[in-house]
Amino acid sequence: MNATEMLKHLYAWTPFLLSGFGMNILISLVAMAIGTAAGWVLALMRVSSRPRLKVFSLVATEFSRSIPTIVFQFYLAFMLPVEILIPSTNVILVFPVWVKAALALAIAVIGFTSDNLTIAMEEWKMGNTSAAFLFIPSWTSYALIIVMASSTASIIGVGELLSRCNTVINAIGNTQLMLPIYLYACLFFFGFCFPLTLLMKRISKIMLLRLAPKEADS
Amino acid sequence: MRISRITALPVGFSLLLCTVFFSMVDLGAAQKTRNLPSGSAFFASERLALIKRRGTLIVGVKTDYPPFGMLNHLGESEGFEHDLAADIAKRLGVKLSKVSVTGSNRLQKVQEGTIDMVLATTGDTAERRQIATMIEPNYYASGVTLLMPPQENAKDWADIRGKKVCATQGSYFNRTMQQRYLLDLQMYNTARDAKLAVKNGRCIGYLFDNTAVLNDLTKPEWKGYKAPLPPALVTPWAIAISIKERGSDFEKVLGDIVADWHRSGFLIEREKAWNIPPSKFLVDSYELWQKKDSAGKPFCQRGVDGAWNAECRNKIFLVSSDVSGLTQMGLWLNERTGINLTLIYDSFDRMQYLKGLATTLLLTVMCIICSLAFGIVGAVCAEARIMLLAPLAKAGCAVARMNPPLTSMYVLLFGVGSIYGISLPALAVVVWCLSVYTGGGVMAAFLEAAATFRLQHPEYQLRLSNVRQLAWLASGSVTASLINVSKATMMASAFAVPELLSVTTSIINERGNVGVMMNALLLTYLLIIFCVVRLLRNLENRVLEAAQTEN
Repeated sequence: MNATEMLKHLYAWTPFLLSGFGMNILISLVAMAIGTAAGWVLALMRVSSRPRLKVFSLVATEFSRSIPTIVFQFYLAFMLPVEILIPSTNVILVFPVWVKAALALAIAVIGFTSDNLTIAMEEWKMGNTSAAFLFIPSWTSYALIIVMASSTASIIGVGELLSRCNTVINAIGNTQLMLPIYLYACLFFFGFCFPLTLLMKRISKIMLLRLAPKEADS
Repeated sequence: MRISRITALPVGFSLLLCTVFFSMVDLGAAQKTRNLPSGSAFFASERLALIKRRGTLIVGVKTDYPPFGMLNHLGESEGFEHDLAADIAKRLGVKLSKVSVTGSNRLQKVQEGTIDMVLATTGDTAERRQIATMIEPNYYASGVTLLMPPQENAKDWADIRGKKVCATQGSYFNRTMQQRYLLDLQMYNTARDAKLAVKNGRCIGYLFDNTAVLNDLTKPEWKGYKAPLPPALVTPWAIAISIKERGSDFEKVLGDIVADWHRSGFLIEREKAWNIPPSKFLVDSYELWQKKDSAGKPFCQRGVDGAWNAECRNKIFLVSSDVSGLTQMGLWLNERTGINLTLIYDSFDRMQYLKGLATTLLLTVMCIICSLAFGIVGAVCAEARIMLLAPLAKAGCAVARMNPPLTSMYVLLFGVGSIYGISLPALAVVVWCLSVYTGGGVMAAFLEAAATFRLQHPEYQLRLSNVRQLAWLASGSVTASLINVSKATMMASAFAVPELLSVTTSIINERGNVGVMMNALLLTYLLIIFCVVRLLRNLENRVLEAAQTEN
């Protein structure tokens, strides 16, 4: 297979692979949304004045930090039924496998949010509002880590980018195409995550610079 | 943090301790009735006497299930099981008479007494043991497999998780297969429709009994198709005789014959003769029945009650009264509560799990060491005032951090392998890719620390000799990266490295104890991570102390 043929194949399959990457981003967004919401609650408990809530939140945060997401993915894939009928209603909760993957990733996000938002909330209380806003760039950088981690969802059979690469290789039936396709997939991740990471670094630097003179004043 | 450590450690520890402790205790278990004289345990069979008097053994066989039982072009019945029936008749010194039976009438006929025994692809199950005497040992086993088109390259069930698989409605194995192997089943009303769907590419294979699939594969219609996945949910096959014959010398004679088939390799030889792909069941049985104890006697023997020793019986039919010691406790618990702790009471599962644990720990230690090494060396290169080296190192760091390790593993294991025809060792590739990814993070932490350090010491340049000066600044995020890599080692399970996750799924596939195994896995990992966090924090403190005294 020569180079032009290879490029033709890559071009032809790009929409299919792109929608796979869309799945990665969807999983990550859902994971970030759930994880941030739950982590927010934990952070609120941590800064509260009631010691019991504080202890509970610390324990929960520690667990969410310690559970490896891949293991939890498998745990949910095996243990959580695909459909749950909510008792005494007609509502059926459906858990497709990608939702399970997102829930598993959310566990890691909970720990992250709980830790970082607690810091931000304490800064806010002390009046350092701009220091508190540093939470935003670090949250976005973490979201990118989650995007990369979402590729492990392929192990439990989610049709995201990496597993679509395998589908394409099977469909074309030419093993010579394996290397270019996997490298192409790497390019997706790199092309998405690298510019955003640079941007976030720049933003947090600007924020820090704005902070510095204020602190010098006080 | 203190609190969670206190709550999680005892639970995880007790699980692990149980596993280690019982591997020593259990050695003498399950051998209650070995090496005792036998003979009087069996009563004289009327049926056997009848067979001898009439000079003919009447066997129910299949004639519609090639290659196990079929009609050849002359209209004569033949096949794998027909050879077995002929051998039994020969050994009993009588003539053979074959009666064609079907799946629905075979046990009924033996019950009525119109035939002496059934040798007709009969699966050995607890329900059937209520209505017939099943001869132990089993002589063959079938399982569930996938009939797949030529271009599919899946080799293991793990490769097809989440993929669309065609199945026929009402097959007893559908639900179990879906749960244990995470398949996306597409249900069809008939086998014909399901197979057509495979041909049209609507799913990656047809889920069915492997012996039936073997049969399909012999037909020209399915040329090039294959069934590469190892049979799952293996059901053993047994010779069946009347329920009234339980404990008779007829049962004993037949059992001894089957045992001899395993010992002599007769079954494997007949399997080959009928072009049946080698079954793991026969290979394993051959090995088991060949085994000798320390005195040179066969390992598999009948005890005083006439039953084979527990190790040589099919595990799925053992009940708590058949065994003693830890195995008995485990089986008792399973019979009462449905909680099947094979991980603790079954020596094979326990060893597998401990080996998996060892592999995971090895992976963890190697990843931590390599990540740290890559990070430090990378940071030193990036700080070196050598042309090209510094920008290259920095670019490498960016690329390493922005590529999911799993994709890099695919690139190295399959991509590079397919072009250059080399296969790299999976474990090494996993360690390499995880370490490169994490090393990128470690490197960035060191570079950032160096930049901060330079604010006070403008002349500072990072070298291998002065890395320690950055300890205070870099340690926090370096430790965090190293903790993260220890949480990612089970990516190795995607490439058949036998670590904890692979072992757990394989025990689940064998035993079906999903809940027990998943909880055990989660607990074990929590324990590992807690230990790793503690160890790394200790190490971090020591490094910091050393750095402080140095300064």
